[in-house]
Parts: sequence; structure tokens; C-alpha cells
Amino acid sequence: MAIKRINLYLGLTILCFVGLIAIFIVDGYMGVYDALHVPMGEREEKIEADQWQQWSQWERAEIGWGERAFFRYEVDNRQFSTYSANVAVSVWRSREKVRDLLSQSVSIAPFDKEEVEWVVDTTELVPTGVSLEGRPVEYTIVINRGEIERKVIFTIFGYAKVPSPPR
Amino acid sequence: MRLEYILIGFGILLCLAGVGYLAGVYVKYLSEAGKLVSLLLTIGMFTFLGKYFEGLGW
Repeated sequence: MAIKRINLYLGLTILCFVGLIAIFIVDGYMGVYDALHVPMGEREEKIEADQWQQWSQWERAEIGWGERAFFRYEVDNRQFSTYSANVAVSVWRSREKVRDLLSQSVSIAPFDKEEVEWVVDTTELVPTGVSLEGRPVEYTIVINRGEIERKVIFTIFGYAKVPSPPR
Repeated sequence: MRLEYILIGFGILLCLAGVGYLAGVYVKYLSEAGKLVSLLLTIGMFTFLGKYFEGLGW
């Protein structure tokens, strides 16, 4: 009787273990996931699946005025079927669309990835430049992939002009 | 008998390392329900493992 009970506990332990692995595979691994590489000055930072909420509210990508910023959006299809969607990217400010950046259809084979890239030219968005005295200008990049919408805010900041020394 | 215990211990360590690795890499992709069920299963796993060793006389 005691041995039967011990074996029951061992069986339940193994069952929980198998359940854990199954959840990680089905819920954690399978699905369609997206990530965005944003410029942070000279660095590049990757926004991953669990960071979209944080980036839509608190974090900012940083671009100096006069620079062209490169963004890379990565869609990872971890399903047994082909994933197709339209990816549309636009820049917004004060709830108004400023400019469309990209509209592209993607068709991704099972367990494959695809990347789309676009460039933000800061001189087109703010032709007059950004002074250091004023506040940096903020814009929102809105990415629509099918019914999913992602938002990332980026800041355009100014450059300090060092006065030439008196002769 | 002692060798058997060492092998069991080694097997348990490997299993825990595997779950730890999966958790480290994929926990960010889990849904809220998935995280809750994973937590419950982890608690259940350690509870039953404890009961198993208790039954063995450890």
C-alpha cells in the first residue's frame, strides 16, 4: 500500500513536469511573435514580446536631428502554417498622422522569420531643426500587422553648437 | 542502492535545469493564464516530489 502511494506521488510529479514542458511549448513557444530594433543614438535596442506595453508608455528611442534612423521589424512565425499579413508603418504626432512610412505584405513560411525595414529622416519631419533650449520633439511610430497594433515613441533631440573661440 | 540515489538526484537536477532554461527563455512569451498554470504545476511538482521522498524515508 505504501509503495503504491509512493509510486502515485512519483507519477503525479512526472505528470506536473510533463504539463510544465507542454505549457512552455504550446503557450510559450508556438505562435507569431514580433520584435522591433530601434535606434538609441549609436546603439540599437531590441523591443521584444514582453516589452511592447513598456515601450508604448515609458521608453523612448533617441534620434539626433539631421540623422536618418533605421528601424527593423522582425516577425517570427512559430506555427505549422504559413503566416500572411500586411505590415503598415506610419508616424503620428498629437493623434494626427504625419506620414506613411511603409506598407508591405509579408508571407512567412512555418517556423521562419521575416524582417521589414524603414528609415525615418528627421529633416523631413522637422525641417527647421531642434534647438537645445527647447524640449525634444516626440513622435509615435504605429505599426499595424493585421489586427495587431504596436506603438513606439521616439524623440528627436537637437545638437549643441559649440561657439568658435574668440581670436 | 547509493548509486541509485545518485542517479535519481542527477536526473532530477537535469529536469530542473531543463525547466529553468525553458523558463528563462520562454517565460516572456507565456500568456497570463499560462504563467498561472505553470506556477501551479511547479508547486504541485515540488509538493509531490517532497511527498515521494518522504515516502522513501528521507
